[in-house]
Amino acid sequence: MKKNFLGSLLKYGTLTLILLFLLFPLYWVTITSFKSNMEAYKFPPTFIPEAPTLSSYINLFTKNNAFFVYYKNNFIVSGFVAFLTTVVAIFSGYALSRFRFKWNSWILAILLASQMFPVVSRMISLYDLMGDIGLINTMPGLILALLADMLPFTVMLMTSFFQSVPVAIEEAAYIDGASRLQILYRIVTPLVKPGMVAVVLYSFLMTWDDYLHAATLIQNDSLRTLSVGVALRYLGELSYDWSLINTISIIGTIPMILLFFFFQKYMIKGLVAGAVKG
Amino acid sequence: MGNTASRKIRKSYFKRSTGDRLFSGILVLPAVVITVIFIIVPIIDSVIKSFLDFRVKNIISNQPGKWNNFENYIKLFQNEKLTGAIITTFSFVLFVVILQFVFGMLLALILNSKIKGARFLRSIMMTPWVVPTIISALIWMWMFQPQYGLMKYIVQLFTGGAVTDFAILNNPSTALLGIGIAALWKQVPLTTLLFLAGLQNVPDDMLEAATIDGANKVRQFFSIVLPYMKSVINVAMSMAIINNFKQFPLIWTMTGGGPDNATTTLAILSYREAFVSNNIGSGAAVTTVWMLLMVVVVFIYKKLMGETEVD
Repeated sequence: MKKNFLGSLLKYGTLTLILLFLLFPLYWVTITSFKSNMEAYKFPPTFIPEAPTLSSYINLFTKNNAFFVYYKNNFIVSGFVAFLTTVVAIFSGYALSRFRFKWNSWILAILLASQMFPVVSRMISLYDLMGDIGLINTMPGLILALLADMLPFTVMLMTSFFQSVPVAIEEAAYIDGASRLQILYRIVTPLVKPGMVAVVLYSFLMTWDDYLHAATLIQNDSLRTLSVGVALRYLGELSYDWSLINTISIIGTIPMILLFFFFQKYMIKGLVAGAVKG
Repeated sequence: MGNTASRKIRKSYFKRSTGDRLFSGILVLPAVVITVIFIIVPIIDSVIKSFLDFRVKNIISNQPGKWNNFENYIKLFQNEKLTGAIITTFSFVLFVVILQFVFGMLLALILNSKIKGARFLRSIMMTPWVVPTIISALIWMWMFQPQYGLMKYIVQLFTGGAVTDFAILNNPSTALLGIGIAALWKQVPLTTLLFLAGLQNVPDDMLEAATIDGANKVRQFFSIVLPYMKSVINVAMSMAIINNFKQFPLIWTMTGGGPDNATTTLAILSYREAFVSNNIGSGAAVTTVWMLLMVVVVFIYKKLMGETEVD
């Protein structure tokens, strides 16, 4: 009996500590964003805002709204990358799962290796290459580079989803006279919807997070995306406006949290499938 | 009977048509072309550049780089920048990956043990994972802030006022630890999620039988749970190794590689050489060494995991 009690004390103690570590910083950022700068710089800090205020939100929306240019750019870039990644991943995932050719294993090997290479190594050369083809400092250039970054994982993920769809359905449609493209669009793709959603969400989340691609390929402030824009504009050498930064953290994270909580079922299923099978 | 019939149809469906090869080729073409142009070619190009004297001014004036007798490599090894960065990278990867395994496994085991609200906890504990990297850097910089930070207050409180100048990121001997904590915060949730999925593969009846036979929980964990979770652990840990090897924005934002180069990993060093010092050839030399190390590490890891499989 006593041992049992100790066991659950240990269990719930560990659980509380780990959850505190994971969740408390989020609480801390949230309450700081509702503090005035005066209160945020108080030491010892207050654990519940004494005088909650929206002033740093108002400040962000009125005075520091360059942030929203980065925000908008991030939506455009992530949106396009997510869309293109999904289309390309569906095509190649289907081909890799349904047709067995010699080149399949080569393609898979290339995709696997691509995930390992450091991004900086690629940027060193892309900086030059993009300049040559006139895509440096443009959104299409950034989108293409990020698309390439997303493809290896998502193609493999899509392949594993297609593999779980039985071939018999396609055979029936084929005998009924449907063309190959019709089979892919009307019959198989709807069956891998969970995989599609997982790919859209994964690529959106990962490109939303990008720093290195945008930092090297974009120099024009009006084209910058969130991470680089925030780092260059709001993180001065000496003095940080911490209330503003905490507000930026909240606004920059909200779309991701919403996406995750609405689609978490697909997201988790997709990631687990990708990791466990891939 | 039905089985052979369906196999026959499958054969005719996939092998008879002459267009299969063409159709499949066209479908995979976009992915292959994009990957080759934007990943494979740049990688090869950067390896070539690592042997050249190539600077940003070469790009601006459109001049090719000149072969410089391994000077990029020699310089990097001579001024000990590279060895320092290698050691820093390995310490960082080792620290984060090991603790990630421990915390992820603990949390997964607890959440899997039929406690109340496990589903709810599983979903909220994922939140740090969706927080963008640069924002997690900002969150932890604010926690660690040297004048008004929460951590300074907590350390002061727990040491009874003995330590009043806790500034983890400003001290060369602790800065890497500070970044490691932020990295763990963002990465533990996904590891936990994957481990939770892996725990579903562990057969309950085996555990029950072991309990009846009198094996305690620790024994059960090592001889039943771990072996069944091997493939998931393998995937989760290779992902963690690769991601932390590549970690850039977190370190760049939190310390920029400082103080006193204490957090200059290979990612930071290569970026700084190529895009801050504008010496692209030297940056490429760093990434080339880095890629080689990565191949070695993945190889050793695979080998180790493969050997434990034999046991």
